[in-house]
Formats: sequence, structure tokens, C-alpha cells
Amino acid sequence: MLWSIPLLPLLLAPLLYWRRRRAGRTALAAGAALILLIDLVLAGLALAGLGRLGGWSDGAFSVYRWSDTLVLTLGRSTASDVFMVMVPLVALPIALFATWHDVALRDDRRTADAAGSRLLALLVAFVGAMQLLVLANDLLTLLIAWELVGACSWALISHKWGEAAVGRDAAQAFLVTRSGDLGLYIAAAAVFAGTGGFGYADLAALDGPLLQVAVAGIVLAAAAKSAQLPFSAWLFAAMSGPVPVSALLHAATMVAVGLYLLVRLEPTLSTVTWFMPTVIGIGLVTALAAGVVGTFQGHAKKLLAASTSAQYGLMWVAVGAGFPGVALLHFIAHAFMKAGLFLSAGLAEHQSGSYRLDGMRLGRCLPGVAATTLILSLALAGMIPLGAAWTKEQIVSAAGVHGTWLALLAALAGGLSALYATRFQRLAYGRGERRGKSRSSGAVRPSQAELGALRLLAAGTLGLSVLWWPAANRAVSDWLAMQRPPGHLWMLLVSLALVLLGIVAGIVMTRQGRPAEPVGWRRPVADWFGLPALTLSVAANVTRLSGVLARFDNDVVDAGLRGTARIGQRLARLNATRGEALSEGVPGGFSYLAERGGHWARRAQSGQAHHYYAAIAAGLVIVLAILMIGVQP
Amino acid sequence: MILTLALGLPMLGAAVLAGSSRWDARQARWLAAGVASLSLLLLVIAWIGFDPAGPRFQHVDELRWVPSLGVAWRVGVDGIALTVATMSALLFVATIVYPPDSRGEPRQDLVQYYAWLLFLQSVSLGVFLALDLLLFYVFFDLSLVGMFFLIGRWGHGQPQIAALKFFLYTFAGSLLLLLAIIGLYLSLDTPSFDMRVLIERQPLAGSGLYAGLVFLALMLGFAIKTPLVPLHTWLPQAHVDAPGPVSAILAGVLLKMGSYGMIRLPLAMMPETFARYAPVVAIVALVAIVYGALVALGQGNLKRRIAYTSINHMGYTVLGIAVAAAFADNVAARQLALTGATVEMVAHGLITGALFLICGSFWQRTGDYDFGHYGGLARQAPLLTGFSVLAMFASLGMPALAGFVAEFQIFAGTFAIYPWLAVLGVVGILITAALFLDMLRRLFFGRLPAHLGEFPDLGRSEWGVLTVLALAIVVIGVAPQFLLAPIEAAASALVGGR
Repeated sequence: MLWSIPLLPLLLAPLLYWRRRRAGRTALAAGAALILLIDLVLAGLALAGLGRLGGWSDGAFSVYRWSDTLVLTLGRSTASDVFMVMVPLVALPIALFATWHDVALRDDRRTADAAGSRLLALLVAFVGAMQLLVLANDLLTLLIAWELVGACSWALISHKWGEAAVGRDAAQAFLVTRSGDLGLYIAAAAVFAGTGGFGYADLAALDGPLLQVAVAGIVLAAAAKSAQLPFSAWLFAAMSGPVPVSALLHAATMVAVGLYLLVRLEPTLSTVTWFMPTVIGIGLVTALAAGVVGTFQGHAKKLLAASTSAQYGLMWVAVGAGFPGVALLHFIAHAFMKAGLFLSAGLAEHQSGSYRLDGMRLGRCLPGVAATTLILSLALAGMIPLGAAWTKEQIVSAAGVHGTWLALLAALAGGLSALYATRFQRLAYGRGERRGKSRSSGAVRPSQAELGALRLLAAGTLGLSVLWWPAANRAVSDWLAMQRPPGHLWMLLVSLALVLLGIVAGIVMTRQGRPAEPVGWRRPVADWFGLPALTLSVAANVTRLSGVLARFDNDVVDAGLRGTARIGQRLARLNATRGEALSEGVPGGFSYLAERGGHWARRAQSGQAHHYYAAIAAGLVIVLAILMIGVQP
Repeated sequence: MILTLALGLPMLGAAVLAGSSRWDARQARWLAAGVASLSLLLLVIAWIGFDPAGPRFQHVDELRWVPSLGVAWRVGVDGIALTVATMSALLFVATIVYPPDSRGEPRQDLVQYYAWLLFLQSVSLGVFLALDLLLFYVFFDLSLVGMFFLIGRWGHGQPQIAALKFFLYTFAGSLLLLLAIIGLYLSLDTPSFDMRVLIERQPLAGSGLYAGLVFLALMLGFAIKTPLVPLHTWLPQAHVDAPGPVSAILAGVLLKMGSYGMIRLPLAMMPETFARYAPVVAIVALVAIVYGALVALGQGNLKRRIAYTSINHMGYTVLGIAVAAAFADNVAARQLALTGATVEMVAHGLITGALFLICGSFWQRTGDYDFGHYGGLARQAPLLTGFSVLAMFASLGMPALAGFVAEFQIFAGTFAIYPWLAVLGVVGILITAALFLDMLRRLFFGRLPAHLGEFPDLGRSEWGVLTVLALAIVVIGVAPQFLLAPIEAAASALVGGR
């Protein structure tokens, strides 16, 4: 019955859409919340093992056979336990927020419009696809969920399909992540080639080159979804989606699945020698580069998007270093704060009319939101005593296991996150010069539901501070059965110093009068070092190639056919003239020859004796000659 | 008897429609739909009565015809023939019910249109159900005749030229096929056209050049029909100028005759020779996959783009067949590939059938295939948008829809035999994704151009038909067991039976 966890949201989501004609905002929100809550309860039941009595988990019920070879299986693991709870938990406030922030009402001012109910239905379906992904116990099921998650994000990003750029951005996000998905196809095929099955257990049994291929495919797929280098650009394109979509994508779903996969399969993946350096390398480079991008970015959502790449980069470092449990904990902390920060950015946009950080500074106009966001920003900065700081320090320690300089680089990435977190907070919710100046006219105050959602997420972030309490973090480590990297006091101090340095730098960068928009050389840096342009140029080149091939197909390949037809026609014409003449001529020629022969034969009968004698003599000579030729040998 | 009835009834219906002038178009449509549905129902009954664990060919009918030549009326099915034939029958019902491309003008000759469709249904089912080589060939050729008239009389643009090109090109393929069939026939000690005898005796095993030539002729004949690059250029023009519903049949049913023929003849009757040339066939298929997808991306015409994706998808099918034929010990992988290839035939028939029907709806409303002229239709025509999104995502291989079940099996099977071809071939699904998302964006997203302000959404018969096809696509994607069981039985007989 593990199946009920993914299937419930997937099957009930269409109801949300179809019932829309009667539903107002409250009904819509209640419906979505109810589905997510039931899902949460189901996940909790599975977690508590209560269902074991009734064959709830691990039993024969979790297997669904397509055929003898294609078997879909579900199973639990530590990583799935964490995700299975986190996904609906984070989705719940986001769905509430979305109902008031993004769902428009019809003309009757009571019922929600089609686009809004579609948004909520898709959010709920997305949770279902995620649950399938995290509970999958074989590569086939994983691949199914993996692609469904991609399709859901495509649909969500293209929410405002009427705007010209949105369709292109949604397609870009889908295609970049799907190019990574190809790795998963290959990985599944490699496992099948080696073992004849698709299960995670089969993957573990694999060895030799096939294992290398499978691991490479899995890392590729994970990097694309997790927006690691060189795939990071799609996150910027994904910013075309509405704010709740970004919040869900970044906190708990699309971007998180790359990390989930690495954590879930880490015991097998790490048997390959190049896995550890590759994953640490990709993660660290992404964390540092994205940190720099966030430092200069002037668009609120893109700043947060860059920080997402950076934070997942840090989690990759933890997995690569051999501490997947640490990565899981950081994922939890990140999920709360990043979802909250995106929602907060959405509120800021409603007030100021755009996502440009330049025109915000809403501290005076929304003091409550500013204070709540401050908690989230401090968490992103890695400030003691918030939980995110503890998990980040664990990552630094984990990197330290493999070399002090790795730890220092990770701490530097932490300093950069302190910098961009400070920038975000000060630019979005700093105190502007004069009250009301930066508020666009006609902006409505945020509703209680929006504020409530934000506060819930902030409360989660705040609650995680308990991790600093030794008894609590020991209990969590035990529950996750995770290894803890050995920590050093000096490393903690260096790391905290870097955080403080980042905060100071952030404050300096955002003093009144300084532009938030990047200028000069900072502009390409803020735009992911030109990566989106590069991604687009790859697409443009493929499109150009396809255009050339299309013309080639029309002009050259088809020319063979047209040429054959033309040759046929010419042959026919040739036949009609010369050929016909020949076939007329040959029989005609024979009859002419026969006629001539007849004339000649008649002339031989002359009736004169000497003619006959001469002919007889000639005949005798010929006969003798033939005889002699016959006798000679 | 059930199979003979299934293919005889539509022929009878065609004769009834053509033989009397009393029918009007509406009556003709309902009569044709009724007859086609009856034929479908018979095949469904045959499916229910089919035992995957039973003998290889079931529901066999045999009637003496020309015993001196070894020709007889022989029909029967294995799992592959059964599933492909049933899919075809479903598609014919859908096509007949779907409104024909008349651009709103009342046409007097629609009675003949339905008569030709029924005729085509009968002979198409004949190709899949025949167990006699000569019968197979006759049906194979008759299908050209039906399609020739359907395109030529009810098409648009330059229908006669397109129909002629289609007919001559594919007829040249059939001639090669005829030579090969005679070659196969003469290789038996006691000549017979019975496919079962040929499959059992394997008369060409170990006979070098002769077998190679017969194989070449067979494959060329089928490759034109499938079509494989570079023998595909008849396809786009035929599609563009054919009416939408006829395009659906052309892509959904007629193309399958090529790939089905590859399974039924070369793979079953001369596996040794096929194994020798399997790598070549697989490489050609790979070229078709990548080239077809790229050229499709380069098209600015709705129907041409979908036509070229057919080349890409049929490439997957042939790749699966070639892998099944390969000389390798991994029987499980080869069987998986062949199962995937067959599921791809069914899936592609339904998906591309639906896509071409949608094209027909576009033509019906605007008479324009250039998707540069569209945009923003999502609000104006939500039903059309919904079905297009579903069909296009199915075509790009989205899981939980039919295409994925096929392509996943093909890739997994191929990788075990030809790893590099699988790695290169998988790029195809990325390009297909690009071209369909691009098309969705250009048709349905963005701003609605002024001239589309009156664009009507799908009518009742349109969305009714598309709902049935969509349902089939989803069911195969989510619960393909009913489809996989008969196909796997046939695949294991073909691959494991050497």
C-alpha cells in the first residue's frame, strides 16, 4: 500500500481542476490542503511502520508487474523517508500561499478561474510524482517519475503561457533537464544489460565497465536536475514560472531530486573510484560560481535561483565526501528557508511591481514580512543559531575529511551565501529612505493566508535551531543512521568568520545609493557567466542544423527520386522515337533482305549450261576444301 | 472464422456503399462506422480468446484455393499480428467517425470516400492477418490502390501528384517484394506459399548469395514502405496533401506494414541471413532516428513535421527488430527489443493517428498548416490544446503514456547488444522533445493572432474520437500488461526459436 502515497495526489489532482466551476479560493485551498494532509498522514503511517501489520510496506503490495522483465517496485529507505515527509510538508504552505497570491477570480468575484485551479491541481500532482520518485525501488519506476517531474515543471513554468517568452523558457528548462535524463535511460539499460533486471539491487550487483556507465549516467541525470554545472542555466529560465512554483521546485521537488538520487544510491555509486572526486568537484565549483553569481545578481528570483545551485552544490560536496546523511539534513534546512524566501520575494514583487531588487527596500512598508524574512535570510547566510548553520558547518567538516583546503573552499562558499543573503534581505526588505516611496500605487496588502504560509516556513527554519543542541542532533543522527564528520573548533571559527565577513560585505554593497543592478563586467558574471547564452546557442545551432538538413532532404535526397522519375520519362521518350524505329526497323530489314535474296536466287536460274557447270565446279571445290580441312588433323 | 469475418465485413460494406447510389453522406458514415466497429469488435473477441501460452498461430482459417500452386486462403494470428491488427481496426473506426476534410463545402462523393476507407480497412487487416505469402502480397498491393484514390480524390494541394508519387514509389518496393517472395517460394522442395511451412522449414538457411539477394529484396521492399532513410521522400508529400483522417491511416496503419513485414518475413523465415546483416540494418535505423528527428525539427509546416517524426519513430521500431535479429546470446535483451518494437508500432499508430487527426482539425478550420501563422490558441480552444499536449507528450516518450513503454524497451534491449547505437539513438528522444515543445509553444502559447478570433474548439465527434485514442494511449502507458502478454509470447517464439 506504499502505492497510495504517490497515487493519492496524482489521482485526486484532476478533481481540483474539474470541480473549479463551483469552487472559490477557500474551497480550492481546502481541497489542496486536504489532499496534501492525507498524503502527509499516509507518509507518517508508513514511516511509523504502523501499516506493516496490514502489509503496508515492503510487502508484495509494493510490486506492480508490467511483464516478467518490467516490474515496478516501491520501497523505503532513509532518504525516501525524509523526502516522503518533507515534500507534502513544504508543499502545504506553498499551496495555501498560491491560492491567494496567484489564483485569480472570475468575473463573479467568487469562483477561481481556470488558470488558478490548474496551477493548484498541477502543484498537487507534482507532489504525487515526487512521492513516486522518492519511493521508487528500481530504475524503471525512477525514470517514470523522473520524467513526470520534468513534465510537471514544464506545465507549471508555462503557467502564464500568454506571455511570449514563457513558452520558450519552459521548453528550455524541460530540454536541459531532459538531456540529463538521457543518462538515466542509459543507466537503466546498462543495469539491464548486466543483470537482466532494473532494480536498485541489480545496480548494486553490477561491476566492471557497465557499472561505470551506469554511475556516469546517474551522475549526469542528477547534475542536470540539481542545476549543477554545466546545466545551471535552466534555473534562470525556470524563473518565468509563478513564485509558488519556484518555491516548490527549489525547495523540495525538481532541483532536489538530483540530490535525492545521489543520496539514495550513494553506497553503490561510491564504489566507483572517480565518483568521489567528480561529485565533490562539481559541487564545489558550482557552489563557488553560483555564489559569485548571487553576489552580483539584481533580480530577486534569479539571486535566489543562483543560491539554490550553490546550496545544492554544498550538498553534493557532502555526498561526495561520503556523508549523505549530512546532505539530507542540509536539504531539510534548505527546503524550509528557500521556500520561505521565494514566497517572500513574491510578496515583494506584488508591492513593488517587479522583481528588480533596485526598486524594493520595503522594510518600512511591510515590517512584519521584513522581520520574518530576516530569519530566513539569516538561515541562508548560515548564521548561528539557526539549524541551517549547523548543517552547513557539518558539510564543511565533511569536506575537511578529505583535505583542509576543501573545507576552506566550502567555508568560502558559505561566506558567499552570507553575502548574497544579506544583499537579498537589505535590498528587498531594508529600510528605504522615505516611507511609502517604493510602494507602487494600488498594491494590496498581503493576505493572512500568504503571511501565514510565510510564517509557517519561518517557524520551521527557526525550529531547526534545535540541531545545535547536542542531544537533539545526536538523536537525529541516530534516526537517520548517519555518520557524523569529525568537527574542529578552529574550522568552525574560520567558517563563522567568513560568514560575518560576508554579511559585512553584503551591507557595504547595499548601502543607500549603490545600484543593485550589475554593471560593466559584473553583468555577464551575474548572468551565470554567460551560461544561459551558451545553452541557447547550442539550441540555436541544432535548430540551424535541422534547417540545413530539412533543405538537404528536400533538395538532395528527394532529387534522387525526382531524377529516377526523369530518367524513366526520358527512356520512355527515347523508346517512343528511336526504340520504336529500331523495333520497326529490325523486322523490316529482315523482310527486305529476304526479298533481295529471293531476287538473287531467281537470277541464278539463267538456263545457260556454262553457268551451271561453273556453279558445279565451284561447289566441288568447296566440298573438297571442307573435306581437306576435316582430314588434316 | 472470426478473422475471415473481421476482414470480410468491411469489404462487404465497401461493396454495399459503392454498389448503390441511394446513400447520402450521413448514412454512409454511420454504416461505415458500424461495419468498422463490428470488425474491431470481432478482433477484440479474437484477442480475448487468444491464449499467449497456446500454439504460435491461433484462430487459423484455411480454405483450398489453388492447390497446384500451394496457394490457399490462410489467415491466422500470433500475438504481434493480433495487436497490430486490432490497433489498425481501432484507428479505422476513429478515422471514419472523424469529420472528413471538406473545409465546410458539401461534397457529393463522400459515400465513395467511406467505401474506399472500408476497402482499405479490409485489405490492411488482410496484410496483418494473412498466413499465406501470396495473399499477403495481394493485400499489400491492394492497400496502395485504396490509398492512391483516397489521397488523389479527397486530398488538397497537389493531391494527384502526391498520390502518384506515393503509388509509384511504394509499388516499386512491392515489385522487389514480389521477386523475393517468388525466391522464397521456389526454394522449397514442394513449393508452397504457406507462411507456417516457410517458418518451420527455413529453406534458405545456409544458402549464401541466393539468401542474401532474397533478403536484400525483402528489406528494400519493406524499407520503402516503413520508410527508412533515404527511401522516405514519398512520405512527407503524401502526408501534406492527404486529408487529415487519411494521413492518420497512412501513418498509423500503412507504415506498419513495412515493419510488420520485416518481422513476419525476414525475421521469421530467414533469421540466419538477417543476423548476418543485422548491424547494417541497425545502423540504417539509427540514421533514420536521428536524421528523421532533426529534419522534423527543421520543418515549418505542421503536417510535414509530424510526418518526419514518423520516420524517427519507425526508426525505433526497425532498430528493435534489428536487435532482435542480431547474432547474440542475450536472448532476454533481444526479446525485450522485439517486444518494444511491436509496442512502438501500436503506440505510434495511436499517437500519430491522433496527431494527424488533430492536423485535420486545423486544416478544417483554417486551411493552413504553417504554424508560424498560429499562436495563443490555448484559451480559444482548450480541448484541442489538451489533446494536442497529451498526444505530443506521448510522442516524445513521456512515461505513463504509450510511447515510453515502447521506447524504453527498445533502448534497454539495444544497449545490451549494440551499446553505442543505443547511446546515440537516445539522443533522438531529446530532439523529439524539442520539436514538440516548440510546436506546442507556437500553436497554443503566446498571443492570439487577430485572424484566429473565430477559431472554434473541437466538435463533438472530434473530441469523442480523440478521447478514445487518448484513453488507449494512457491505458497502454499505465497498464500495458494486456498488450505485453501476447506480444511477448510471439517475441519469444521468434527470438528464442532458432
